[in-house]
Amino acid sequence: MIWATWRMERALFAVALGAIGAVAILLVVTGAHQESAWTAFSGLHCNQPGSSTTCMAAADRYYSSSDFSAAGVGIGVAIPGLLGLVLGAPLVGGEIAQRTNRLAWTQTMTRSRWLTQKLAVGAFATMAIIGVLMPLVQWWTGEVQRGDRIVSFNFDVSGFAPVFYGLFAFMLGALLGSLIHRTGWAFAAGVVLFAAFRFIVRLFVRPVLIPPVTTTVAPTAPSNAWVLNEGFVPLGRASPAPGRSWQSANDVIAGCTNRVGRSARPVHTIQQCAALHKLHYVFQLQPGGHYWALQAAESAVFLAASCVLFALTVLAVQRWRT
Amino acid sequence: MSGTAAALETVGLGKRYGRTWGVRDCSFALPPGRVAGLVGPNGSGKSTLLRMAAGITRPTTGEVRVFGHSHSNQTVEVLRRVGYLDQERPLYRSFKVSEMLRFGERLNPGWDAPAAARYLTELGIPSDSRVGRLSVGQQAQVALTMCIAKRPELLLLDEPVAALDPVAREGLMQILLRAVVEDGTTVLLSSHAIADLATVCDFVIILSASRVHVADDLEYVLASHRLLVGPHDSGGAPPGAVVVSTTHAERQTNLLVRVDEPIRDPGWRVVEPTLEEIVIAYLRGGGGAGNSPPASSQGAVLVGDRNITGAAGPPR
Repeated sequence: MIWATWRMERALFAVALGAIGAVAILLVVTGAHQESAWTAFSGLHCNQPGSSTTCMAAADRYYSSSDFSAAGVGIGVAIPGLLGLVLGAPLVGGEIAQRTNRLAWTQTMTRSRWLTQKLAVGAFATMAIIGVLMPLVQWWTGEVQRGDRIVSFNFDVSGFAPVFYGLFAFMLGALLGSLIHRTGWAFAAGVVLFAAFRFIVRLFVRPVLIPPVTTTVAPTAPSNAWVLNEGFVPLGRASPAPGRSWQSANDVIAGCTNRVGRSARPVHTIQQCAALHKLHYVFQLQPGGHYWALQAAESAVFLAASCVLFALTVLAVQRWRT
Repeated sequence: MSGTAAALETVGLGKRYGRTWGVRDCSFALPPGRVAGLVGPNGSGKSTLLRMAAGITRPTTGEVRVFGHSHSNQTVEVLRRVGYLDQERPLYRSFKVSEMLRFGERLNPGWDAPAAARYLTELGIPSDSRVGRLSVGQQAQVALTMCIAKRPELLLLDEPVAALDPVAREGLMQILLRAVVEDGTTVLLSSHAIADLATVCDFVIILSASRVHVADDLEYVLASHRLLVGPHDSGGAPPGAVVVSTTHAERQTNLLVRVDEPIRDPGWRVVEPTLEEIVIAYLRGGGGAGNSPPASSQGAVLVGDRNITGAAGPPR
């Protein structure tokens, strides 16, 4: 069955690999171009004001090349989902649409075993392709952004979590294909659901997967960290008082400093207002040191979700009715 | 049933699609070693019945048993005993014929590779051509070859000879019958061509309007039905005869009846009907609106494997 699955899917794999290969070539070429532009620009030490025209030209060259940045991150974010869905949706749905499931399910092999082997081959291929491609995307975006990898967009296209995004998309495609039977519709529904799940995890789950760290380093945000929240909170607390929002204490401070406009009283500085109201300014953040632990935790979330989808697909195929 | 388990047995089998029943209240037993013909008009539920027998479609009600094993567990024990040819002959179109056979070999422990190769040679199908490039008839032959090379004990064939020219039809039937003779395979095949069935089958199942009307030995079915021809005003059917269908010609009435004993009423001319006439009578009688006698409860129904030399002997 492993041979048969490979034989059935190899054309699709070839097309997917071709598209991925084209993306890889694009990344290598533009990445190398940015790399050289950055080297030339940073080599000129153009930090001082009133820099030369050479500096301007080098800066222009670097910043125009980094126009690819957003597109590159977009590609990096989209690839695991699209590849997983492209390979997953036709795996069962395509067979049902072609009626070849009637052939496969009347051979001497139970449906669950048939499905498990098919999914294993497809999942392995999906994860392998993404596993090879993602380091390239990571290098590429790293060169462009030179930012902290813990920050959302960089996190999404680096490390090993994208491999599990791909696995999730693949299983989602397989399940939808076995429910909808039309590869195109299954794919479209998959795009929506995959994006929704990624979005929810990033907004609501990832920030608290590992308890965030609170720091009072003021007045500027700490570097190499993903700041989740910042603002004034009561002294002795790391978060706003129960029932209050992060904005509430900021309003208190604003009200305190604004009195200067109405009366002739001495100006309160922010520090004075904070002391007056027993507040301090904190950053709630995921520090750069949490990067690998967060990658592992988020991968686990997507792996668990993939297992659920797998179980549902087995159920859908076993319960399948004409 | 005593002794060995039936090759195929259905108990209260039904399949509902939304509000309509594809198959309903279907109970019959097909003894091992028979070649059974499944006849009925389009949409009467033949394909649904075969798909349930093959374990592809899950029944809404009732159960299918293959050699005593229930289908509902989806076990290898059942799957290896059943060969199924779908009406649409699904094959992997991108595969070469040889790869299609390799697929069968990989998925079936009992695969008979030499037989598969021999059949394809006889049929003149090159093993290195793509399945999708073959003609419809050749695809049907490859699909049937795959069914037979699996060496199943029960072969379910949905319209095996449809869309085949007479020569291909002949070749396919020969391969099929050889497999039956060599391995003692039980076969259930559906067809529109009732005349064809009469030459190969020794068991007949008549399906009309989602219900099984007859499921019995062909000989018994032929022996227990009579066509009565009489004048218009001849009143009802003679005692002991159950009317299956009534047709009126210009000056006479034709009754197709099921009888348990010879008709002695001199008012009727008694003719032995052909299988086709019997089938058509059931389709006419049962295929109309819902007022016809349903399969399970009424008299004009033959279900089960009756011994034709039993107490209710056929008329001479």
